[in-house]
Amino acid sequence: MTTTRRARPVRRARHLFAALAAMVVLLAGCSSAGNASEAGSGRPTDGGDITFLIDSLGTTWIPNNSAISSFEGNIWGHVTDKLVYVDANGQVSPWVAESWEQNQNATEFTLHLKQGVTFSDGSALDAAAVVTNLDIWSKGRPQDGINPIGLFPKTYDHAEAVDASTVKVYFTAPTLGFIPTLGYHGSILISPKTLASPASDQADLSKTVASGPFTVQSWKEGDHVTLVRRKDYNWGPAALGQTGPAHLDSITFKQVPEQSLRVSSVQSGQADVAYNASPQELESLKSEGFTVAVPRYLGFVNGWAINTKVAPYDDLRVRQALQAGINRQQIIDTVYTPDWKPATSFIQSNVPGATDHSNLLGYDPVKANQLLDEAGWVKGADGVRVKDGKPLTLTLYSNPYLATSKSIDELLAQQLTTIGWKVDIQAYDVVTYGQRVKVGGAAVPAYEITRSFIDAGTVAGILTDANKGEDWFGLGESDPTLNALRDGIAKASSLDQRNPLLDQLQSYVLEQGYFIPRTQIVQRIYVQNPKLKGETYNGVAYANYYTAYLEK
Amino acid sequence: MSRGYLSFALRRLAQAIVVILVAYVFTFVVISILPGDPVTNVLRNPQNGFSEDDIARIVGYYGLDQPIHVQLWRSLSKFLVGDLGVSLRSNRPVADLIGEVLGSTLLLAAAGLAVALLLAVAIAYGSQFLPKRYGQDLLRTLPSFFLSVPNFVIGLVLIHVFAFQFRLFRVIDAESPWATLFAAIALGVPVSAQIAEVLIAGLDHESRQEYAEVARSRGLGQARLFARHLLKPASLPVVTVIALTVGELLGGSLITETIFGRTGVGSLIQRSVTTQDTPVLQAVVSLAALVFVTVNLVADLVYPLLDPRVRVVDGRTAPRPTVQEVGAAG
Repeated sequence: MTTTRRARPVRRARHLFAALAAMVVLLAGCSSAGNASEAGSGRPTDGGDITFLIDSLGTTWIPNNSAISSFEGNIWGHVTDKLVYVDANGQVSPWVAESWEQNQNATEFTLHLKQGVTFSDGSALDAAAVVTNLDIWSKGRPQDGINPIGLFPKTYDHAEAVDASTVKVYFTAPTLGFIPTLGYHGSILISPKTLASPASDQADLSKTVASGPFTVQSWKEGDHVTLVRRKDYNWGPAALGQTGPAHLDSITFKQVPEQSLRVSSVQSGQADVAYNASPQELESLKSEGFTVAVPRYLGFVNGWAINTKVAPYDDLRVRQALQAGINRQQIIDTVYTPDWKPATSFIQSNVPGATDHSNLLGYDPVKANQLLDEAGWVKGADGVRVKDGKPLTLTLYSNPYLATSKSIDELLAQQLTTIGWKVDIQAYDVVTYGQRVKVGGAAVPAYEITRSFIDAGTVAGILTDANKGEDWFGLGESDPTLNALRDGIAKASSLDQRNPLLDQLQSYVLEQGYFIPRTQIVQRIYVQNPKLKGETYNGVAYANYYTAYLEK
Repeated sequence: MSRGYLSFALRRLAQAIVVILVAYVFTFVVISILPGDPVTNVLRNPQNGFSEDDIARIVGYYGLDQPIHVQLWRSLSKFLVGDLGVSLRSNRPVADLIGEVLGSTLLLAAAGLAVALLLAVAIAYGSQFLPKRYGQDLLRTLPSFFLSVPNFVIGLVLIHVFAFQFRLFRVIDAESPWATLFAAIALGVPVSAQIAEVLIAGLDHESRQEYAEVARSRGLGQARLFARHLLKPASLPVVTVIALTVGELLGGSLITETIFGRTGVGSLIQRSVTTQDTPVLQAVVSLAALVFVTVNLVADLVYPLLDPRVRVVDGRTAPRPTVQEVGAAG
């Protein structure tokens, strides 16, 4: 960072001399940065500016339409507050909501708000403001171009402000996931004045008013967003051990689409954080002393939802052979680094309620071959298994939202080929993928999942088609065991009641070969200047620099 | 002259307007042929968890569910009254988006043109007065060399040498004066080639004229001869070339912007193409057409006034000399 500040005179220099002098200073700055002493005092110091290099600044800044974006989300996390804080292990703790209670069957919730919280324009973040936010998350204003938040509980009925600091929220059915959802990246609190403004005004980030520890100082679309500390901020989440203003004076998010340029800029001390480095570079960056973070979000693991409507995946034995025929450790050894964790279920192991089912996910080619033999698939001369004249095929559509997806597909294709599969890999761009590849689509036997959620209760609702569910496995209502587990989880009014059902659901889905996990997913990779310390990662795996500081 | 000139001017103006409208409609049609639309593409990201119903409702807001001709008519009727519409990608008014980036591109193009002119004049001067043993012939081949090197190669070399070796500028701070200067050099070098060629040809022609001989025989220094007597008549065809190179400056600035990481019209186009942001692309293409048409219109209209040999006859003008003719003249 030293270099950034010292480089500034260059810009103003009119004379070559001044520029040369500045160059000397700059070079000196670099070399001193190189000799950084490890003996820091360890105490956060105030002040300093950091530069965060990001691949893209996304598309729009309408809060509802961009809050869950991997790009804009980084900025929203610094500009806004949430009602509750959810940490990387899914633990929920108070933030703007100081406390809450629910009725017996989890259909009514009461939120008690912290007093004195204000938006950056001075207006109060009170119960009425929270009600406005809940409504817009749930319903959006589609007729005005404001999307709803896709994963907000569909059972939301309405909310009312009981007094200035109390909100009562009503649901049409038990919704245990409500409180955790308030810590989801979509649930950012925005001033009602902003929310009432038209889409084109909301799209102008400088007009958006929120209550977070930073405010927007300047921005240019496709170029940068500069945030400055809000000095009167005093309502940070207690779980972070800090409630007062941020330490850093400013954070500049600068768009640099080229991955190697982002990383080399951090290596040369011209910037402090590079977003989305390649997994292959991480080991060498770590050995050079840079901080590397691969936070996991709460959500599904990366894996395939198998479409049971597509033959031969309507056959349990074929699905089970697929489950056993994949060497998951090899993915971590070849495509990733040991920072990545093997899947232990079809949900990430940091999700509360996730249980360890590694025993169902072992690599067992003998068992896979045996199952396929039993199912009548006979190996031909070319090594491909055939039944009724049809080869055993699997078409994989590499997920364009995960950079490593295609490499993993290629590795798994090799593994499956030895068992007798004929694997075809299709890698489309985001646009074509969105058009052609849909979960449960007729030509899509395996849909690659990358999806976060905050509460495991939402899982059950997605798997079948009940209540507008997404019917991931093409089962509809045909599997009574799955339906029973789904309903049990949805109706559960306490975690004690729900957790055993969740455990059963996980083993059932894996045993049936409905979901084929690959590895636990990391969608955001951070490479950081080692002098920048104290950042935190929340349940949706965004880095947050509210608590961060630059070591002198 | 005045009557014929006026009807000539009006006809050229009408043609210019038609060109801009055609560019606007053409862009719309081309993008409509592509599958998908930017709104659905974003909504389909599985992270969103939207149902097809949700998506349909939102797409309806943007009018993207309407038949193509209805969409075209709606956008065209807005365009005719000066409303460029709203970006499908960012939801911001297209006029704001363009206004935000136009300054950066204009600065780059202007600086590029300045570099090109300085370089061209320097080369042309050397081509006349540099002694042969110091490489006058080599200097005369420089324009063809410049013309054959793509500006992205020049840009990458400049970045490598001046940003990474000499650390004169930071690549992530692309709008700084130093970075702008080097971007302008990358942009200006190929453009300077064409200007230099024409200028050299003109100077060769002029220096063989009697008045030049007379001036020389009276003992006029070469610098004064060049600046006072030769440059002005030799640079008249340069006006034509500059009008022609505006397109290159615009097109070249898009490439240069990408290489140097500047946020100008080029990066706006790039973002809009990748997301099929029709309103923005229509506006930018029309803007490019407008600039091109305006510059050529001005050149056409100014030429008869500058050079008495180009007369307007019956509302028509003898065409401006083309580059080839100018080159052949020398």
